[in-house]
Amino acid sequence: MIIALQIALCLGTVVAQATLSTMLSVHGIYPDLCLVLACLVGFFTNEYKGFMLGLMVGLFQDLLSPGGIGLNMILKGLAGGLAGVTIHTISTVTASAVIIVTLALSLGGGLASLMVAYPVLNGSESLHAISWVLVPQALYNSLLAAGFFWFTLTIRHSLGVVHFIEGRR
Amino acid sequence: MSRSERTSFPISVGLRRLLAGGFILFLVLLLFLPRQSQEWLGQMGGPMALILEGPLHGVAAIQDSVGETWNHYIALQHVWEDNQRLKQEIQQLQGEQNRRREQAILTREFQKLSLYQATAPMTTLPARIIGRNASNWYQAMIINKGTRDGIHAEMGVITDAGVVGRVVRVNPTTSVVLLLSDPNVAITGMIQTSRDEGIIQGTPQGNIHMKYLPPLSPVQVGDVVVTSGLTKDFPRGLHIGHIQQITKAATDLFQSGEITPIVDFSKLEGVLVVTSFQPTIADESPLSKEPLPVP
Repeated sequence: MIIALQIALCLGTVVAQATLSTMLSVHGIYPDLCLVLACLVGFFTNEYKGFMLGLMVGLFQDLLSPGGIGLNMILKGLAGGLAGVTIHTISTVTASAVIIVTLALSLGGGLASLMVAYPVLNGSESLHAISWVLVPQALYNSLLAAGFFWFTLTIRHSLGVVHFIEGRR
Repeated sequence: MSRSERTSFPISVGLRRLLAGGFILFLVLLLFLPRQSQEWLGQMGGPMALILEGPLHGVAAIQDSVGETWNHYIALQHVWEDNQRLKQEIQQLQGEQNRRREQAILTREFQKLSLYQATAPMTTLPARIIGRNASNWYQAMIINKGTRDGIHAEMGVITDAGVVGRVVRVNPTTSVVLLLSDPNVAITGMIQTSRDEGIIQGTPQGNIHMKYLPPLSPVQVGDVVVTSGLTKDFPRGLHIGHIQQITKAATDLFQSGEITPIVDFSKLEGVLVVTSFQPTIADESPLSKEPLPVP
């Protein structure tokens, strides 16, 4: 049942990324909802679940992307896993920690995607892509992840579920 | 205590009867007085009317306000409900009108495509755009046709206006089309007037460049660029755009130009996938139909 829900969540996120991303774009910058999902699952559960769900959502994203299958799968899986690792190193995950970790993961993943997608870019084109797409998108992703994290945390606290992040893994 | 003692008028009973009879007679006489003689009675009653008018106006005002309240708030309760219902109906009708307008626009778009499909010298398959790029680094879109519809990778995608891009990934019922503005797409094109050929490729900024134009080509700003038909995906002569800017440094071997695409990629709703076409390079030539000279 949980696996079916996870699959549905991944499918819904990829479909939303393909159809609603234009509505979420700010000055032509689209958020990577799949990365945000992988990171959040890593933050809320653990590195294993973050990695597995990242692999799944990355695979679905690859199926609807022009690039080869595998790039998004690996990047999202790594992002989910690394996000899960942070809850081992940080005693309490806060929204600011989510921003920093997601920003770093988004920058790293975006740089890898850029190198794979456009391997023959010259210096000025690469600089343009980094400064006008990569960095704003990473900021957008991190703010979105922090917003979701804060919202979920607030809902959980209001429902009386305390310390769920440090709960049983 | 007797009744006469309780009265404040120390008059006898007989006198009181006499006064009462006189008063009644007076009232009867008033009825038979001429109308002119009754005016003094009206003047006498004026101040008394003033006393009555105050409460009368008060009661009338209360009555009016109650009536107004009734008419505006209570009796019009059903009118308010009618108003709400009518507003809902208007909203529904506006929504329906919008849907019909949208359908009409879509129908018009697909009619244009269908008309072009019937007249174009190639076999095409209409498809609808159901999504944009699922990843952020490619300029792509998703169409609702896949391998089950006979689509495979490397097929060209066009509209009635011109070239859109190329199919790069095919799923059973969907396909991913890489737009012409993506750096990973390169097709052969030519200047329509001078027939000079070059490579057309996108940039990360979303622009389209035409590279490797011959150094002596008389290309000018505004020249129309079309497909050259040298590759397998597009037939010759499909509109790509027009030259917006020409650049050639002193050390460059070739000229290059920036192209304004004829197709607005952000407003696409339907496309045609070029499934097959006959290479018409030989047929187009007026000399090709004449018999070759025998040596």
